[in-house]
Amino acid sequence: MLDQVAKWARKRSPWIFHINASSCNGCDIELVASLTPRYDIERFGAVLVPSPRHADVLMVTGTVNAQTRGPLKRVYEQVPEPKHVIAIGACAATGGVFKGCYNVGQGIQDVIPVDMFIPGCPPRPEAIMYGVLKLLGEVD
Amino acid sequence: MSEILLERVGKFAAEAKAKIVPLRKGETVIEVDQANVRNFISHLVQDLSVRHLTTITGLDLGENIGIMYNFSQERETIHVRTTVPKASTAVSIVDIIPGAILYEMEVHDMFGTSFEGNPWNDRKLLLPDNWPSDLPPPLLKSSKPAEIRRRLNLEAPTKE
Amino acid sequence: MSTDRDKRLREESAGLMEYSAENLVPFGPIHPSLKEPEYFKIILEGERIVNVIPRIGYVHRGLEKAAETRPWVQNMYMFERTCGICSFVHSLCYGQAVEGLTIFQVPKRAEYIRLIICEMERIHSHLLWVGLMGHWTGFETLFMWVWQDREVVLDLVEAISGNRIHKSMNAFCGVRRDMPEGMEKHIVELMKFLTDRARYYRQIIDTEETILERTQKVGAHINQDTVEKLCAVGPMARYVGLRHDVRLNNPYAAYGEVPFEIVTRKEGDVQALLRLRLDEIIVSANMISYAVENLPDGPIKVKIPPVIPAGEHSSCCEAPRGEIFYYVKSTGGRTPDRVKSRQPTLANLPLALEILKGQTLADVPVVLTAIDPCFGCMDRMSFLDTEENKQWSWSGEQLRQYGINYYFPDKKGKGKA
Repeated sequence: MLDQVAKWARKRSPWIFHINASSCNGCDIELVASLTPRYDIERFGAVLVPSPRHADVLMVTGTVNAQTRGPLKRVYEQVPEPKHVIAIGACAATGGVFKGCYNVGQGIQDVIPVDMFIPGCPPRPEAIMYGVLKLLGEVD
Repeated sequence: MSEILLERVGKFAAEAKAKIVPLRKGETVIEVDQANVRNFISHLVQDLSVRHLTTITGLDLGENIGIMYNFSQERETIHVRTTVPKASTAVSIVDIIPGAILYEMEVHDMFGTSFEGNPWNDRKLLLPDNWPSDLPPPLLKSSKPAEIRRRLNLEAPTKE
Repeated sequence: MSTDRDKRLREESAGLMEYSAENLVPFGPIHPSLKEPEYFKIILEGERIVNVIPRIGYVHRGLEKAAETRPWVQNMYMFERTCGICSFVHSLCYGQAVEGLTIFQVPKRAEYIRLIICEMERIHSHLLWVGLMGHWTGFETLFMWVWQDREVVLDLVEAISGNRIHKSMNAFCGVRRDMPEGMEKHIVELMKFLTDRARYYRQIIDTEETILERTQKVGAHINQDTVEKLCAVGPMARYVGLRHDVRLNNPYAAYGEVPFEIVTRKEGDVQALLRLRLDEIIVSANMISYAVENLPDGPIKVKIPPVIPAGEHSSCCEAPRGEIFYYVKSTGGRTPDRVKSRQPTLANLPLALEILKGQTLADVPVVLTAIDPCFGCMDRMSFLDTEENKQWSWSGEQLRQYGINYYFPDKKGKGKA
């Protein structure tokens, strides 16, 4: 019974930790824009938290370069179970326009397991919100 | 370069055995050798008030590394270019222009040229901490991105 | 490895206190801090900062190397993604550097359109920054309202170019899309709206206690000589009175024809930066209105061959954060021989480190945001207190909370988590 309540609470109010892994900031500003009054992801209960230990959902942007792979993995380990990872943008999925550059990975799924990819360069705030809600089963 | 500036630079250029190569209107390259470059830049900064160093560009010129100090003043861009052999040491201008410190670190990371006199010369600015010390600096023509990616473990999935 | 670090840390604290790594007690780290690389290592004596060491390899992707193997036109859209906030100016500066090697001229209409998009980007970037300053000082309402107004500019950019952030409007010797017809009146109205809003926010920052407390006289020990020696650019040079603006000193695109007033201030503190950027929004809005009403007719693009003649050329542009520099060298092929790009944040970093010395810990987030850095730079900071022998690591959010609680202790718990 308590399990059911916890599951319901997580779905209704995802706590999000955002990490920028070598991003150009385009995806980050669209993510932060989804908090602002026009898009207002907070009406779905989503909240950005300051520490990975309080988070349910980890949102990652950027091409993961050699310097950020370690920190990304460490942050992932600090997020308590059950956790979800969302990769935002083309760079987080495949390396984007930088694929083949000498310091760029091939997407974050090489470092941590990913539950959802939101494509776009950068994806619109509406797309980001749709992705988060779809992951949590709010929409189908 | 404008006539007045050209004349004033010409005096110091002769002293420093420098060669003035006008590229087009408003852009000039001045080639100086390592022994005289500090002196020349001091003259530019103190006597001609050309104080704004935009950046320092490194170039792979085959056997040597070219170090270009890009200065700008109003509508003039002045590139002061000097060359050093690969994998050797160049002089630092951090005491003349303190803002040059990060640019010299960048050239050191990318081309392998040490700057003697730069207090942060042994630090990395841009390259990752796990850069293998036997790998050549990335912006040399002989460096291949595929090789670098393999050495930095960026190709294979890291399932630790 | 630890003795190397020991030696380095000892040198950095310049003999103020003898310590060794064994004495340091990690203080509630959220990250496993002692092995965690950080953007800024801040060395404190009690509450005062004595030195700051930067480490900025986190967004290094190797673009300059990749540019040497890609065709000229592909590089334009790659360099656009160097930064999400000033993306158009990056592609413009690269485009101008390459166009200078060819014999072709940019049509007048294209130059005006380039100016319009550049200035819209400047408005969006400055509004973004003012909102962030609100967020970092604990004034969430300012953040929400400013970003709401910013959506107006982004809608306009989307109507013209098709995308909000990475516009891809530039091409060699021209732009890719024309201005939509019949929008002039609407654009002029929106510019008037933005001017009124900028004036309203200007009034807020001059009178609101939250902002005044945290920005007035903060970082005010910088003078013109220091700024010139450290070669700072953009608003970081103009806020001490220097008239450094590429649009004034070395006009490009249509800046020689559209009337432009440079904005400078003399106070040299963070509040001067707020006023300066809001005034620049008003200047940009006026320029856009003028350009839209006086847009010349003609083609928007000249087709150029894929092989660029040999030579070297450099170009400077004024991005919202300062001067951008691109240097391009061609050996007559389909790919460049060398491309060098220098972002303004790198030029302003030595000045930022200098401003931080002597500040208190609570002022760090405000001062670092004041130089308008990229987001990622604020993510991780580590601190070393030589007086109390403590070392710890904070995320940007934790530092922000510390700053708010330091200045407004009765506001504890009311700021957004």
